[in-house]
Amino acid sequence: MAVSLRRSSASATDLRGGQPAPAATFPETPRPPGGVRRRRGGATRVHPALWLFPLPAVVLYVIFFAMPTLQAFQYAVTDWDGYSAVFRQVGLSNFSTIATADDLFRNALFNNIKFLLVVVILQTVLSLLLALLLQRNSKSSTALRSLYFLPTILSSVSVAFVWKFMYDPNFGLINQTLGAVGLDGLKSSFLGNDATAIYWVALCQVWAHTGQLMVIFIAGLQQIPAELYESADLDGAGRWQRFRYVTWPMVAPATAIVIAYTTVQSFKAFDLILGLGGNPPKTSMDILSTRIYTTFTNSQFGYAAAESIVFMLIIALVSFLQRRAVRLTQPGA
Amino acid sequence: MSNEAPAISRRQLLQLFGAGGAGLFMAACAGPGGGGNGGNAGAATTPSAAASGGKVSGKVSFAHWRAEDKAVFDKIIASFQSKNPGVTVTQDISPSNDYQSSALQRIRGGAVGDVFTAFRGAQFVSMTQAGIYSDLSSQPFVSNYVPSLISSGQVDGKQMGLPYQVVFNMPITNQDLVSKADGGTPPKDWEGFLGMCDKLKSQGLVPIAWPGGDPGNAGQLFNSMVMNNAPSDDMCAKIESGDYKCTDDWFIKTLQQYVQLRPYFQPNSTGTAVEPCQQIFATGKAAMLATGSYHIAAVRGLGAKFTMDLISPITTTADKAKYEGIYNATFVLGVNSASKNQPAAVAWLQYLSDPQVAGDYANGTSQNVSVKGVEYTNPDLKAISPWLEKKTLLAPRFQFNNLDVRNAVEGSCIAVVGGKSPEQAAAEAQKIVDQKRPK
Repeated sequence: MAVSLRRSSASATDLRGGQPAPAATFPETPRPPGGVRRRRGGATRVHPALWLFPLPAVVLYVIFFAMPTLQAFQYAVTDWDGYSAVFRQVGLSNFSTIATADDLFRNALFNNIKFLLVVVILQTVLSLLLALLLQRNSKSSTALRSLYFLPTILSSVSVAFVWKFMYDPNFGLINQTLGAVGLDGLKSSFLGNDATAIYWVALCQVWAHTGQLMVIFIAGLQQIPAELYESADLDGAGRWQRFRYVTWPMVAPATAIVIAYTTVQSFKAFDLILGLGGNPPKTSMDILSTRIYTTFTNSQFGYAAAESIVFMLIIALVSFLQRRAVRLTQPGA
Repeated sequence: MSNEAPAISRRQLLQLFGAGGAGLFMAACAGPGGGGNGGNAGAATTPSAAASGGKVSGKVSFAHWRAEDKAVFDKIIASFQSKNPGVTVTQDISPSNDYQSSALQRIRGGAVGDVFTAFRGAQFVSMTQAGIYSDLSSQPFVSNYVPSLISSGQVDGKQMGLPYQVVFNMPITNQDLVSKADGGTPPKDWEGFLGMCDKLKSQGLVPIAWPGGDPGNAGQLFNSMVMNNAPSDDMCAKIESGDYKCTDDWFIKTLQQYVQLRPYFQPNSTGTAVEPCQQIFATGKAAMLATGSYHIAAVRGLGAKFTMDLISPITTTADKAKYEGIYNATFVLGVNSASKNQPAAVAWLQYLSDPQVAGDYANGTSQNVSVKGVEYTNPDLKAISPWLEKKTLLAPRFQFNNLDVRNAVEGSCIAVVGGKSPEQAAAEAQKIVDQKRPK
């Protein structure tokens, strides 16, 4: 161990023309336990052997993430069908087609944005509301937390099948309940209505994941010091003011996590869509991930790779804008 | 604690990472098409010597999507293995949607699917282009099949695949209800069909259970609706190629006829999945189930006791009707060109082609088959077997090779039932077709 120290001494020796440096000129720096020492900049210096530990993860990351991503860039400028040995370089024409002459991709993008907005807003608000109501560690709160968390442990495909039958216009619970209370006028074909289908899908997503995000909010709420509420009470703050000036700013880090997680989740809602809308789904329920999958299924690997790259850029842009928005509303986030 | 120098310095380690990264980067830059048997794409190979009386051995993977047929296949496999003790056949079953999406990539490497299947249409075309199917033309058991039923498994005159199932992709009827409404004679024209639907509706029944919320099954009715309206039998191929358009008169007429059918479907039909439709039909609340004969077994499973038959709406006058119904020859069996055990694979295919075995499969699964000389003992198959002799058209929707084009065209039919005008739906569909048509 203490390699860096020995190297420093050696350097000092070389600089002096091979003459050993007097001990008084170069006092031995105390060696911290574990072989690391604090550098002048305050950063720690790690023993090189420790760099081997992340190696397996780095190798896996490179093979299963970095390489496919690089390959996507390569395929995106070809018309490769996914199996032929022959393909043509098509330059940026795949990208120009996506931008100018692909109504299905544009439709999927708009659907994805609608889906994202509904899921992010509803899921964040509902999970925060539930967390506020259930943050105390009473028996009933714990039981209700478990109940609301339950849908999270179901696979998306199971959720899709549960809701497929909930939404069924003839046998589904929703229409039957509406009929039973005399509200036949509100009966709907739900997923069969092209104008609203994506919103009904978004509601399934909200149902399935609100409990999961509630747990994150509860953890955040329970870390708020009680003294802050006591001082707010002493200042005569009402319920809303306690929430506005204590809870909301203090729960900012949890909110940032919830929103970021929900956004990524909304773009990844693949199996839920296929479960509810079929494969390939109707255009009214098609989102970017399912659109790319359909293109792959159509043996258009080159074009699908270009769509994937545009998809990555969109996610990066949305994540960036969202972080900016969260910082503007919650400086602590 | 030792003061010995470690074997690798940080700089060396970073150099190692850099070199590794550069190597992987170069690997990532390898041209597409290098994996699997991509090099054979498009080339037809002939499988190794079939089971020409010689002993075969080894493991055979049989890839398909019919989970509902697993038990029947298990029995057939047991009987095959008892006659060929050296061979083990295992079923590799994927859900049909997954199979449609990913079978080509899974099978082309040869690790699974020594014997495999494909849907007729886009998947069969892709698989033959990828060179996965071996040429079966010289195999003697090909003559066990009805030639007209396996023609869709031919490419450039070579018998690449053997369509095994014969399915009628047209509405199933509850004969107890329909025969009362049509007086025992199926309607021969469009007016007659609407009149029959009207009578059924006046009795408080749902004339047609149609799964408009399930595009795959909803599209089966499309076959019957266009079979007599279109100017030629290859109408879907011509829409995809651009020779026909969705805005053509014949297609607009078809959409208008869908609008006429709207009151005869169950309420909110565009949101109804296939399972509730089966339920409505099986319980006698609907007179027709607009999917296909492949649902007869499922409906029986739901407790249906009535006699079933098939019907296809004739969308023209009787004198202009060319076809009475629709059939499809699918489940296209083939031997994988990348299989390492082709003799055993061919032996398994030969066994399936035996009329006795094909009969066991047909009667066990309520599916007609394309093998000659099969005796149908299943009452439902007996009931619909006359359709094998009728004037039927090979399901045209499978002429589409591009899923986006197919969805756009069939989606326009769902859209008009949902309330969109036929002209608008047709124009929107045509725009997608123009964008997605193979260039």
